[in-house]
Amino acid sequence: MEDYKYLFKIVLIGEAGVGKTCLVRRFTQGLFPPGQAATIGVDFMIKTVEIEGDKVKLQIWDTAGQEKFRSITQSYYRAAHGLILVYDVCSQRTFDALPQWLTDIDSFANEKVLSYLVGNKIDRGDAREIPTHVGEQFAERYEMKYIETSAKEADNVDKLFLDIASRLTEDARERNRLIPGEDSMNISSNTKSISSCSRCFKF
Amino acid sequence: MACMGCCKAMRPRYKRLVDDIFPVNPEDGLVKNNMDKLTFYALSSPEKLDRIGQYLATKLSRDVARRRISLVKIAMDALDQLLVSCHDYSLNLFVESFLKMVQKLLECDELELQILGTLSFVKFANIEEDTPSYHRRYDFFVSKFSSMCHSCAESENDRSKLIMSTRRIRTAGLKGLQGVVRKTVSDELQVNIWEPVHMDKIVPSLLYNMHDPGFAPVELESPKDDEHPAQVAETVFRDLVCRACFGNLKPVLKPILVHMDNHKLWGPKVFVIRCFKIVMYSVQQQYAYVVVQALMSHLDTHVHDSPEIKAAIVDVLFETVLIAAGASVGPSVLDVFNTLVKHLRISLDNKSSNESIRAEEKKFEEAIVNTIGQFANNLPDYQKIEIMMFVMAKFPQFTPDENYGVQMDSQLQTLLLKTLLKVATKYKTVNMANAFPQEFLLPLLSMSLFDDPAMRIIVQEILHTLIDRHDNTEKLLHVQVFKDISKAGFKVEKVNRPDALFIKKFGMHFYWYLQENIKLNSNRVDNFEALFCTMSLIAIEMNSKETVVELIRLGLDMQNIATNNLSLPMTHKCAIHALVAAFLCFVAQVCDLQQLHQYALEIVENRKTDAPHLLPDFAFNRKNRPASYADPDTVTLAEFQKQDYPQTETLKDTWLFQLDIITNLLSEQGLDLSRLSVPFTQKPFGISEPDGSRSMSDINSINLEFESTEGSPVLPKKRSSEDVTVESLKKMLSEDSTNKEEEEERRREIIHTFRTAPFEEIVARSEAKSNHFHNKLNEILSMVSKGSDSPSTLRRSSTKPATVFDIQFPELYVY
Ligand SMILES: Nc1nc2c(ncn2[C@@H]2O[C@H](COP(=O)(O)OP(=O)(O)OP(=O)(O)O)[C@@H](O)[C@H]2O)c(=O)[nH]1
Ligand SMILES: [Mg+2]
Repeated sequence: MEDYKYLFKIVLIGEAGVGKTCLVRRFTQGLFPPGQAATIGVDFMIKTVEIEGDKVKLQIWDTAGQEKFRSITQSYYRAAHGLILVYDVCSQRTFDALPQWLTDIDSFANEKVLSYLVGNKIDRGDAREIPTHVGEQFAERYEMKYIETSAKEADNVDKLFLDIASRLTEDARERNRLIPGEDSMNISSNTKSISSCSRCFKF
Repeated sequence: MACMGCCKAMRPRYKRLVDDIFPVNPEDGLVKNNMDKLTFYALSSPEKLDRIGQYLATKLSRDVARRRISLVKIAMDALDQLLVSCHDYSLNLFVESFLKMVQKLLECDELELQILGTLSFVKFANIEEDTPSYHRRYDFFVSKFSSMCHSCAESENDRSKLIMSTRRIRTAGLKGLQGVVRKTVSDELQVNIWEPVHMDKIVPSLLYNMHDPGFAPVELESPKDDEHPAQVAETVFRDLVCRACFGNLKPVLKPILVHMDNHKLWGPKVFVIRCFKIVMYSVQQQYAYVVVQALMSHLDTHVHDSPEIKAAIVDVLFETVLIAAGASVGPSVLDVFNTLVKHLRISLDNKSSNESIRAEEKKFEEAIVNTIGQFANNLPDYQKIEIMMFVMAKFPQFTPDENYGVQMDSQLQTLLLKTLLKVATKYKTVNMANAFPQEFLLPLLSMSLFDDPAMRIIVQEILHTLIDRHDNTEKLLHVQVFKDISKAGFKVEKVNRPDALFIKKFGMHFYWYLQENIKLNSNRVDNFEALFCTMSLIAIEMNSKETVVELIRLGLDMQNIATNNLSLPMTHKCAIHALVAAFLCFVAQVCDLQQLHQYALEIVENRKTDAPHLLPDFAFNRKNRPASYADPDTVTLAEFQKQDYPQTETLKDTWLFQLDIITNLLSEQGLDLSRLSVPFTQKPFGISEPDGSRSMSDINSINLEFESTEGSPVLPKKRSSEDVTVESLKKMLSEDSTNKEEEEERRREIIHTFRTAPFEEIVARSEAKSNHFHNKLNEILSMVSKGSDSPSTLRRSSTKPATVFDIQFPELYVY
């Protein structure tokens, strides 16, 4: 019955109002919520995708960007396989805050975490403050993947999550090949909340 | 899933039994009869339990995916029931499937299903398992329940419905967290729920619901308010704290403090105080001091923050200490005091020049003093004395081997003194020897000679509260002649032996310092009053036969000082005479010496007619102001009395207490009067400073002081690199000394001033000078001890200059 082969935790972080929640909802529910309220603490959504024939379950934790929730959201970093650091291409301030977020990632996240820098709200072309190449360079310097999105227009949103899913899947497969005989759930074994015998469920 | 299409007969029995519990019409709910059959089957063949669980889970999973909510509910219901009925058996694998299903429910975005899953989880958490699993993990549950605690329902148009949904989901999250904690705390094999990864999620989630302002209970119309998230959160929070043992308390406290910081909850501080009260009332008593320690170190991390925040932390500390039972403050008492005193010092060292900030800083400093007092209150009495000695050691000049290593902020000194007073107030004196161990008494007494009159008063107040066992202090706050003390309601007991021994041993110390105090030019009315109070209290509490004689002798000596001391202003002299009269009259009655009482009253009568300025009513008449003065607060004692004081200083024998008359009067009382005629000129053992250096009667020293301050040169800057030596100080003093004639002229002037100028004026003038000089000295001193900032290093580094001051100080510190 287990309807997925891999489970990955993805945590979205970044300044308040950059559109994290909108990105997640666009991806999981296919909509752009009008009047999205600020996230309190953490929110949780789930979506299963298929990567080259394998079902991959993405557990997406959407954190609040507001300073006062920082400590609780930070406690979610550690379990993450993928971290999406979002800024708003129309707001220099959110871009300037990135180094601080990187420091937080360094101190709280797993060393091997896959991190993605996302410049959101590209639909507001005229209001853009950060040119693409600036974001790209920044991402390169800190060895992150880079993509620009619009939650509103659904640009690159699926691509973002699917890319993360396939990279993580690839890693997981790689690891299974290196350590033959290990449970195929290996990479997610520390995230699998309950069972170490998921195959029992497969009839 | 593949076998769904198989023929019925082939299906295993457990599958058929499971299928049968689902009704034809999903709305009908669980088929009760068949559920019983399934339960019976599970109980009779428990080895099948795992299979049953898996099969149920499969079905449920499919129904969730297809959003067949009622069927999901039925499956969950069945799982719950099986769990409860079969908990005697090894449930391990069954539980695995059960938890999988709960997770499944929690993962879907259907609010109802999330709540359903949580409720099942809570039921499960309350089941005690015999054989817990090694591998079970709860990360997901902690994360998800925490996130539910923060969730805000949406997509409801109706506001009250929205609030209800939010409330339900949050309550569910909170209960889920409680479930996880309950499930894991009792069993070491399972995850350590106390790890910061978990606590950093759990604790803020609870606190958030306890104070979320956007979600006040008022908005809700439910009658059952114990279901309100704030209430539930508090219950869960208490539950959590009371389960924490020593090692686990810190991971709980840390996120509390961080949460308060993040959400800026120190500001109004109502919540944070409430929160820590909850902690203190919930925590296991023996660990209460861990909370105190955590707050202390939090104060350390905020050392550079605004005084408001620091004051709030100290206030919270105060509240927690209030709750902590005496012993639970624990082994770290001195640590606590040390930290508090350190913060006091830091605050004073970095005083803000901005007035409103300074006002806040003062509140913070007051809060520290109060907290120290509160701490002391919780300590056993012997530790209070210890604490006082500890605080006293913070005064560098009163450590045993160095005199006057002065480089301490006078405000800090005052605050420390206030602290001492706070502690002393909490001390309940039983016998004097315990209240005044020598190591405590002698430094305390030497502190009574502070330069600052206000500080001297505090020292006397410390003495009052420690000496007074019968609440007499209040009646002795003003100097007055008590004609009949039996009417004034004093409580007097016969002295006991230990106290008699004590005063025999240490009386000399008290008397000597009292007498030195009386001599000080900087005394104000309050100082005299405080001294009178101390003397009278000694008379009440320790009136042994020996003491009486000594006390009378003390009175006579003070009278001598007032009569013979040339440098004392008129106002001071009158005050001393008045004080002596009031005191001797009081002693006579306390010790039941009729003749002396009569004699004292006689003298008072004599003064009344011829020399009213020698009576308290005149000499201490602050209140008794002429109506013509509009603003009494600005009028000093001297100003409005000056004209009334006699122009010449004549003293008639009949106004004064005569030694020979007293000796005669007392001759029949069986007292040893031989000592009565010997004045207290000699310093008692243990006081190292030579007597003469402080004498007020040394005109030369006045001159020197005057001259050197007037003409004291601005210290050339290059000095700062030079070593400070005795020579340099001497040089500084004499640098532009004027010629002999001028000197003579000045001397005369000074003496004149001191004879005629009013009380407060002289005091003010001399204060200004000594302050000015004081500053100079500090400047030099700071060159020597630069870089030292902790009291202990300061003490050490001031060893050297201390020798310098041994020589120079007495003259500089005339006032
Ligand atoms: N034009 C445009 N607006 C967007 C886009 N994504 C988000 N927004 C808007 O930006 C605002 C904030 O979006 P959220 O998704 O709530 O931001 P967030 O990062 O989740 O903020 P926090 O939860 O406070 O951390 C909302 O008003 C959205 O409508 C986008 O791609 N284009
Ligand atoms: Mg958000």
